[in-house]
Amino acid sequence: MFNDIKVGILSAKSSIKRGNKKTLAFIIFVLALIFMNLVFLPSMIGGVSGMFTDFMQYPYGDIVIEPMGDNPYINNADSVLQKVRAVPDVSAATKRLDAGVSIQYKQKVVGSTITGLLPSEEYDVSNYHNIIVDGEFLGDLARDEIIIGAMLVEGYFGSETYDNLGGVRVGSLVDVTYSNGVVRTYKVKGIMEGTWEGTDLNALIHYKEIQDVFGLDGSEATSVVMRVKNPQDAAKVKGKIISVGVNEPVFTNAEKSDAILRQAMQSIDMINVVSKYVSLIIGAALILIIIYINVLNRKREIGILKAVGISPSSIVISYAFISMFYVVMGILAGLVLYFISMFYFKANPVMFYENIKLVPEIQVGLIINSIFTMLIMSVIAGIIPAWRVSKESILEAIWGR
Amino acid sequence: MDEKTMIKVKNLKRYYDSGIVVKALNGVSFEIKKGEFIAIIGASGSGKTTLLRILGLIDKPTKGEYTINNLNVVDLPEEARGYYRLTQLGYVFQDYALLNEMSASENVHILSIMEGKSKKESLITAKDALEKVGLGDKLDRVPNQLSGGEKQRVAIARAIAKKPKILFADEPCANLDTGTSEQVLEVLKELNQKHGQTIVMVTHEPWHVKYASRVIELKDGLIVSDKKRSIKDNPS
Repeated sequence: MFNDIKVGILSAKSSIKRGNKKTLAFIIFVLALIFMNLVFLPSMIGGVSGMFTDFMQYPYGDIVIEPMGDNPYINNADSVLQKVRAVPDVSAATKRLDAGVSIQYKQKVVGSTITGLLPSEEYDVSNYHNIIVDGEFLGDLARDEIIIGAMLVEGYFGSETYDNLGGVRVGSLVDVTYSNGVVRTYKVKGIMEGTWEGTDLNALIHYKEIQDVFGLDGSEATSVVMRVKNPQDAAKVKGKIISVGVNEPVFTNAEKSDAILRQAMQSIDMINVVSKYVSLIIGAALILIIIYINVLNRKREIGILKAVGISPSSIVISYAFISMFYVVMGILAGLVLYFISMFYFKANPVMFYENIKLVPEIQVGLIINSIFTMLIMSVIAGIIPAWRVSKESILEAIWGR
Repeated sequence: MDEKTMIKVKNLKRYYDSGIVVKALNGVSFEIKKGEFIAIIGASGSGKTTLLRILGLIDKPTKGEYTINNLNVVDLPEEARGYYRLTQLGYVFQDYALLNEMSASENVHILSIMEGKSKKESLITAKDALEKVGLGDKLDRVPNQLSGGEKQRVAIARAIAKKPKILFADEPCANLDTGTSEQVLEVLKELNQKHGQTIVMVTHEPWHVKYASRVIELKDGLIVSDKKRSIKDNPS
């Protein structure tokens, strides 16, 4: 067997070294495209999933704690915050108060949810401050100011689909009526656009405003939202938060995404899975065809090797090596193409409508999976045709009869 | 059987059936002794290449007996036939049958590696064999950098490097001019006379027989003459 391997490697090495370079380049190019096909579309679809996950960041951060049972508030929010901040994996946390309101500008009235937040803490927890498309984000002292979602403002993305406040702009005064009947007037400080109804139909205000309106003592919250150091570890961090004695329900961003966008995500995931399997089958078939044609072109050579006494296993090993070499080179070339295209699309995202950016997601797991799949296919694709030809009679292999 | 008898063939037949049955060999019997240089001659289609392929274990007979050193090689399993070809027999093909992507040295030493020799030992063996056929200075040339005669000499070197018990040569000069043919035949003659190499060569050129010690003539798949020759039989 050792001799078979040595002869197989020698034969493969000389085939690669002295074989037709143009054919080699073409095979590698095609294999690179096959690899791209395996990883590119799933990365783009992964970007769609990522887009939904990002949307979830605004209301839920990486992890959110919500009131227990039917309680409208977490009553000891400051104590919960203290515990959460003591968990080393949590990078920042804040509390929020949500309330149902109606907002009026001139003759236009819309129903909305207003979120009371502590602006300076939000910088480290959410991306709200990054999605202000007009005006500015709230300051810590801004008690009479409001941020309104873009879909509530005529002319912004999505506003035509919903009731909106017409021509309200930064600097306009709006009246907000709370569920307890209190009406307050705020100046619009900014317009936020997250290209998702979950943010763009809502409004933001200072936490203390809602506290005042509802006569709360300041330790209540409708949610405690936090960001963790490594978002991939959110599920583990959730466990740690529970273990430090937080009794309220704790959800990761993904759990909330699943709950809200389950159907959409399932459809996307289904497309992704189908696309991956179709790519895999096409890839496998193409690798098999390429290597098979290559082996058939070398049928005479295989016959000669057999005729002079080289064992069929050496021949099979040789073609498995050649096939693996092609595929490894194809994967490397494919990785270069893939990363170039990923960086290009990250720098120049695909735009939906005018402002929804689809940024592809580099999925390390998918890449590793595709590499292994292609390597396994290469060995099979090398072995099967070489084994078949090596079983043919020498006369058939060399002289075709 | 004489103790010097290496090959014994009895009533060997080879039929090809592709709709019409072609009797390429129709009952051939003979013996070959160690150290003989046999030329098998005959017109095109007489069955000489078929016979050589069977003798070289590249093809199987339809019927008949074939033993090498008393071993029935007809019924050997394919793997054992391959190993026997590797270790005991040398075969020179009409069209050289060299591996185009391997250098002259690699074409020869790959067989030694298959036999289990180290790379160093195999390279020395290959160098010796190529020097023996006058190609010691062209070890690294690939077949398309060699002339027809040189290619055939590489093929001979490949066949003799492993010191085979019997060397088979199928029209080794078919694609060569007269001068180059003489060089190749001289190499075979030297192997036979200096090293006692048993050689069975198929040829259709009457003048090639002067290098052989025995001539077997085939016609329509049958032996029509089997004569020993000596140097004095050679035309002046």
